[in-house]
Amino acid sequence: MLAEPVLAVLLFSSLAALLAVLGVLPFVSGRRPAAVWIAGAYALASGLMLGAGYLLMSRGLERGALSVVVGAAVGVLYAWWIKRYTGAHVYDRRPEAAEDEGMAYKLLLENMLHAAAEGVAIGVAMVLEIKLGVFVALALAVHNIGESMALTDGLSRRGISVSEAAGLCVGTNVPQPLLALAVFALDPVLAGLLPAALGFAAGALVFLVLTELLPASYERASGTVIALVVSATAGAVILLEDFFV
Amino acid sequence: MSDLVTSQVGMVFLYGLITAVATGLGALPFLFMRRVSPKNVAIANALASGLMLGASSGLLLEGARYGTRQTVVGGALGVAFILAGERLLAGREAAFGALRGAGARKILLILAVMTLHSFSEGVAVGVAFGGGAKLATLITIAIAVHNIPEGLAISAVMRPKGSSIAACAGWSIFSSLPQPLMAVPAFLFVEAFEPLLPYGLGFAAGAMVFMVFLELLPEAYESASATTVGLWVSSSLGAMILFQRYL
Repeated sequence: MLAEPVLAVLLFSSLAALLAVLGVLPFVSGRRPAAVWIAGAYALASGLMLGAGYLLMSRGLERGALSVVVGAAVGVLYAWWIKRYTGAHVYDRRPEAAEDEGMAYKLLLENMLHAAAEGVAIGVAMVLEIKLGVFVALALAVHNIGESMALTDGLSRRGISVSEAAGLCVGTNVPQPLLALAVFALDPVLAGLLPAALGFAAGALVFLVLTELLPASYERASGTVIALVVSATAGAVILLEDFFV
Repeated sequence: MSDLVTSQVGMVFLYGLITAVATGLGALPFLFMRRVSPKNVAIANALASGLMLGASSGLLLEGARYGTRQTVVGGALGVAFILAGERLLAGREAAFGALRGAGARKILLILAVMTLHSFSEGVAVGVAFGGGAKLATLITIAIAVHNIPEGLAISAVMRPKGSSIAACAGWSIFSSLPQPLMAVPAFLFVEAFEPLLPYGLGFAAGAMVFMVFLELLPEAYESASATTVGLWVSSSLGAMILFQRYL
């Protein structure tokens, strides 16, 4: 694809982070999109992450089941820790939450910690095969758009302007290229850890979907819309991989 | 020659029957579940969600080996089937035994999904048997063991709604009866059945995934914290994927 694999890692993981800015567009007119669109954005991100998590997990299982399971458990613990540590609720719509200025910072911190796990996912996929990495990066790029739509919704409720939100959406995703590059660069040193890293990424992605994105989605829309979006996108990621990789 | 075919047909049916009966074993863990609190219902739903998501990922990949496009078409049909089923049952008073309303509707839907998905599994068994009798025992053991968590998923939905263990086990076995019934014609007419297989596998995967996100997960989130649901779904999903890969 590119002469230097590391350039592909840099390019596509940065692209994923940059595309997050598109999630701000629905807010430019000054109005907030209807709740069902936010729910749809969460559902889209969920489906993509579930699909990506499945791909990484199955690639890992080909290499060593025990390491994958241990890695996945660590990934779940990491995602659990984020939730406990930040205590943030992106979808907390209570009035007192809107007045809590600290909450906006917690949201950003939470997003950055999520992006770190997503960066690991891109990195390990790139290590396996550049094409798979590009595929995962593109899936996460679309996911970033949905997620930054939800983040902008949360930030705008706390009085943060759209242009600032745009910067913050991209900024909180910077851990994606950083971690992707770090994982890719460290691979020769830590090659034995690859199955565990695949498990980690899969566990963290799936747990984030189940504890953050899906509950937020179900609060805002009917199960039918969510089920359609999630099953279509997750299925598309799993089946499209056959075409791309 | 014809004797050989007859005895083989008998064997395919018998093996299919064994796999169906194994599904009933999935009801057994619920012997130990005494209280049916809202939180237990949520956990049972989360458990069923993880098991069904894991099962459908396996079906999807199996289908893609025969034909990705057909699998996708089958998946869309599965989703449409559940949507139509919901519409149909929403219009009338659903009843399941003494149970009425939303709970009965969910049990009916999950039984319909699991039973229909057994048709394609039965075809898969029959087609696979055509590959050689040596593999037969291995395939049977694999399918039988893999049916147990499916019985677990059905029981996880039925038991908290007040069904008896016998009913859970009975309906679990019922949901797998299409396996021996379909395995025989699929074995005899492999050429005719093989092209249909990816549609069937995709259908089953689409219907199961849709059911999880439409009914099971929202109900789980209602009565348990997101963390509890997340832990149960991710561990049962992981266990199911491991299970399918190594058994």
